[in-house]
Amino acid sequence: MMILFTVLTFIIYRSAKMIYAKTALPVFHPLLLAPILLILLIKGMNVSANHYLDATKWLTHLLGPATVAFAVPIYKHLPTIKKYMGTIMISVTTGTLTAIFSTFALSKMIHLKSDFVTSILPRSITTPIAIEVSKEIGGLPTLTTVFVIITGVMGGVLGPSVIKWLSIKTPIAKGLALGMAAHGAGTNKAMEYGEQEATFSSLAMIFAAWITLLWGVLLIPALIHMEPLF
Amino acid sequence: MKFAAIVLQVLFIHVFLFLGAALKEIIPLPIPASMFGLILLFLVLYLKIVKLEWVEKGAKWLMAELLLFFVPSAVGIVNYDDILSLQGAEIVLLIGVSTVIVLGMTALVAERITGRKRGEQH
Repeated sequence: MMILFTVLTFIIYRSAKMIYAKTALPVFHPLLLAPILLILLIKGMNVSANHYLDATKWLTHLLGPATVAFAVPIYKHLPTIKKYMGTIMISVTTGTLTAIFSTFALSKMIHLKSDFVTSILPRSITTPIAIEVSKEIGGLPTLTTVFVIITGVMGGVLGPSVIKWLSIKTPIAKGLALGMAAHGAGTNKAMEYGEQEATFSSLAMIFAAWITLLWGVLLIPALIHMEPLF
Repeated sequence: MKFAAIVLQVLFIHVFLFLGAALKEIIPLPIPASMFGLILLFLVLYLKIVKLEWVEKGAKWLMAELLLFFVPSAVGIVNYDDILSLQGAEIVLLIGVSTVIVLGMTALVAERITGRKRGEQH
């Protein structure tokens, strides 16, 4: 079963990626199209979602080593990091604060349940770290994963329009914005722009994760504590 | 041959994940094992204990296929269909609006700093 579902997931993911590359239509984003096709398929095969999740657990597990792997671009781009440390730190700190506060304010506006609020706050960072922050502040990790994915799809789909609309010119700003707002999916999008965009996007993603870990201890508990006041 | 190299290197990268997990047991900080692993791998690369070629192919594959590792979790959304159908549209809208704000803010701040730096050079 493990092999069958892994192979199926891989083939469908590959096909979705190809369709998306050919059509460039946002609705065919691999993280939308592949899960929808897989849900239909397992429903058709009469397999429960939990059974599928159990069989493909090890694919999700690869997010761990994938996070470790980001040591490689950090090492390779060390001179760039040193040169642009200030730009990266200021932009990404602004980004993480904007992410937490705007998510908090908007979730208050739609009267989200409090365990949903804690689960949605770390949505802007890469899944393995978002899950840790979520646990730390009392959220539900599975729900956080879903919010992180929606964020990734949104960033990948809307990112290029926002960049065009604000007429952002520098590869540094494009990369930092995509990596900050849409973690891995944003970095994937940044690769379509070019090498420099991809580099800054992966750097933004890593720094965003680190800074948000810090906010998870220092800022978010205070925010949640203040919640009844709103 | 290339496939074998990728598999071996991905396994090798796992060693740092396990070391990271061990470190997490010792150091009482809310830092995930994978982040400790990242720091460890960076250190051994920086100190030239591990050569870049030993991990580069595996790391490149892991990062290039990042979206694949999200797919099963995304399928897991069906387990939440009752809650999500209740407020699903609102939540998606919230995330969309917030993501646009974050992207815009980060891009504008970065663009402004970069522009200023460039201006100083001339």
